[in-house]
Amino acid sequence: MDNKEASQKRLQAAKALNQLVFRYYQECLEAKAQGKPVGWMPPMNGAIELFYALGLQPVFPENWSPLCAAFGYTPENFRVSEGMGYSRDLCGYLRNIVGYVHGPMKEGQWPLALPEPDLLLSFGGGCVPAMKIFHVLEHRFPQALVYSADLPQVAAEEVGEHHLRYAISEMNRLIDFLTQTTGCKLDMDRLKETVSLSDRASALWDEIMAYRRFVPAPFSAAEIGIMFVMVTRQGTREAVEFLTQVRDEVRERAQNKIGVIEEEQIRLFWDNIPPWYNLRLLRTFEKMGGVVVAETYSSAWSIRLTDDDPIKALARKSLLSYSQVSCVSIKKRRDDVLRACRDYAIDGAILHRNKSCAPITLGQMDIQKALEKELGIPSVLIDGDHMDERNFSRGQFQMRAEAFMETLKDRKGL
Amino acid sequence: MKAPLLPFQDWLEHYQEKHRALSAQSQFIGYFCTYTPVEMIHAAGFIPVRILGESGSLEKAPSLVPSFICHYMRRTLEKALEEKYAYLSGLVQAYTCDVACGLINIWAENIRLDFYHTLPLPYNRTPEARTYFRSILQEFIEKLNAHGGRLSWETLDQSLQLYRRIRKLLWILYQKRAAGRLNLSAKDVLTVVLAGFVTPPETYCEHLEILVQDLSNDERMDGPKGFPVLVSGSLLENLSIMDALETLGFRIVADDLCSGLRSFYPVDGQGDDPLDRLIDRTVHHFPCPSRHRARDRFPLLMDLVRGAGAQGVIFLPQKFCTPHLADYPLLAEALNKEGLPHILLEMEDSGLTEAHRTRLEAFLEIHGCK
Repeated sequence: MDNKEASQKRLQAAKALNQLVFRYYQECLEAKAQGKPVGWMPPMNGAIELFYALGLQPVFPENWSPLCAAFGYTPENFRVSEGMGYSRDLCGYLRNIVGYVHGPMKEGQWPLALPEPDLLLSFGGGCVPAMKIFHVLEHRFPQALVYSADLPQVAAEEVGEHHLRYAISEMNRLIDFLTQTTGCKLDMDRLKETVSLSDRASALWDEIMAYRRFVPAPFSAAEIGIMFVMVTRQGTREAVEFLTQVRDEVRERAQNKIGVIEEEQIRLFWDNIPPWYNLRLLRTFEKMGGVVVAETYSSAWSIRLTDDDPIKALARKSLLSYSQVSCVSIKKRRDDVLRACRDYAIDGAILHRNKSCAPITLGQMDIQKALEKELGIPSVLIDGDHMDERNFSRGQFQMRAEAFMETLKDRKGL
Repeated sequence: MKAPLLPFQDWLEHYQEKHRALSAQSQFIGYFCTYTPVEMIHAAGFIPVRILGESGSLEKAPSLVPSFICHYMRRTLEKALEEKYAYLSGLVQAYTCDVACGLINIWAENIRLDFYHTLPLPYNRTPEARTYFRSILQEFIEKLNAHGGRLSWETLDQSLQLYRRIRKLLWILYQKRAAGRLNLSAKDVLTVVLAGFVTPPETYCEHLEILVQDLSNDERMDGPKGFPVLVSGSLLENLSIMDALETLGFRIVADDLCSGLRSFYPVDGQGDDPLDRLIDRTVHHFPCPSRHRARDRFPLLMDLVRGAGAQGVIFLPQKFCTPHLADYPLLAEALNKEGLPHILLEMEDSGLTEAHRTRLEAFLEIHGCK
């Protein structure tokens, strides 16, 4: 497979996305230069909206890793972290950010960079590698003020009032910490507006994804980078404007039956985080008439904020997020995958057995069985890693992808 | 082997037959992790049994879980698929590592038991965290009682007292070992602790009382031999590893294993009512890397090192164990600053490999003669 092959990004919005990504990281550096407090935090929680409402600058080290993978920075980061004793069996996000902050970041050798944190939202309540990333960051940036966050790791379908009460109390504790340490005051009207913008972004996201039910699908998983705004910009007008632009373009493509490839023969589902270092792999399927029209990971970033109380809404969002990208409820993930496969008229599922993420990979084989048993949808397991290309075999991938596509075409009489 | 040790060995080797025989009149509830409130399970009238992986092959589990999770967790599933845990009424998991969380859900998808339950424990010790902790324990009480349990304040108090006694007796053994007066091998100590995971607590307590009494009359008089080390890691079940370490010339004087000190320390907690005492003990549980910072673990590790006179640390985590492997570089850095030698050996099923032995011999040659 040619690694230099052109990416199959076809949305005009892809160009706007590149600018948005660059602008965001510039904004992070400028914030630091201007003395605006910079806080590093995990994604997928209500602290993001809170930061924007308070006028603080959020930075997401976890999101930095896919970017490093896309730009080819990971080998150097891995070299540094593995040299420090971090095992190759650990999550690639962890090894990448640990390597970055102890190596290239110190040396300032890349055009894109992260500013040093003034605040660290170090948390218990997500996956263990994400928690451990922040433990290392605390050690690396001893001058940063640390907030030890806590969230119940509970299945979405089991969230009860007691979990919500605790999440709200944690949100209030975070507000106290941020206002006391930065001197910023929380304007409730501004918070409500931020939460409203975040909810609007989620609604737009759902609408965009729904257009992928059209045949042919107006865009594929190769465009998954648009997720960047859902990770880093939730609660901003910029996210809503960008997603509106994407929605308009996608709607037009769907209505005019403009697909990803000339003839969409096979509709595919992707389970687990994609290989950030090479989304061009999806071309393998496209060359054989297959398009990835839905995936688990993109659906995890849209949580509607419908509570009247913005703090309660953010607490609920924080509670529900973890369920989407973990194994706290395999039942819910299975139900979500089955529903998506029905809704998007999926012919076959690609299950990425991802060495960098045990929490999402666990339960995948149960999902595979359910797909076959309940919907008669075949699937293929692809061994890989969302960050570390060394754990991925191109030859094996190519062979499995070709065999899988042949099977799917035979079933459809193509 | 000393006579008072035989019951521990017997339980460890034959617990599944014994459980099946007992299951006519008793109900068992399984658990993976030592953060699970076993006192509550016991107070509800069930016998808590920790799910052990044991040495063995993997035939069925690979169809449900990937190869890049620890051997222990894969083996627990293998045994469940072989119907070795069909006698359990339920399985309970306190959320610690991600893999254990995934495994209980995979069990739930594939193994029919009356109930499954995960306790989403708080990470903090704030008053709000304790209030929340209480609410999830109350939810757990309701679930236990809905499945035939009969937990009351009185039964919980009795169970707390029983477990307090057990933990105190184990702590006596550990203190003797740290002082160089324990006349047991490292393999014997591990046997005693592991047996506690699978023996009904009343029976276990009786055996411990006899053992501790016997050892108080039979203290080691010949002076310590071997290079004193602390063993750090997760769940270590392979008894041969302990024998191998001693044969190589090490003397294990302390540990922070999940199948060692971390399973019983501290012995109890403070509080106005039984639930508060249980909460207090859990939040002060000897820290597991799946929930705590290396920075917070290190001083406690050093307390153990100094208290027992250890001159080195052997890290024995399970291969693929994220919590331990992620903490290792920070712990190693801190140990280097203390001038304390250490070595990391990732464990799979086979016990110590030849490569492990060679590295240990080299470690001993370099540091053992100082």
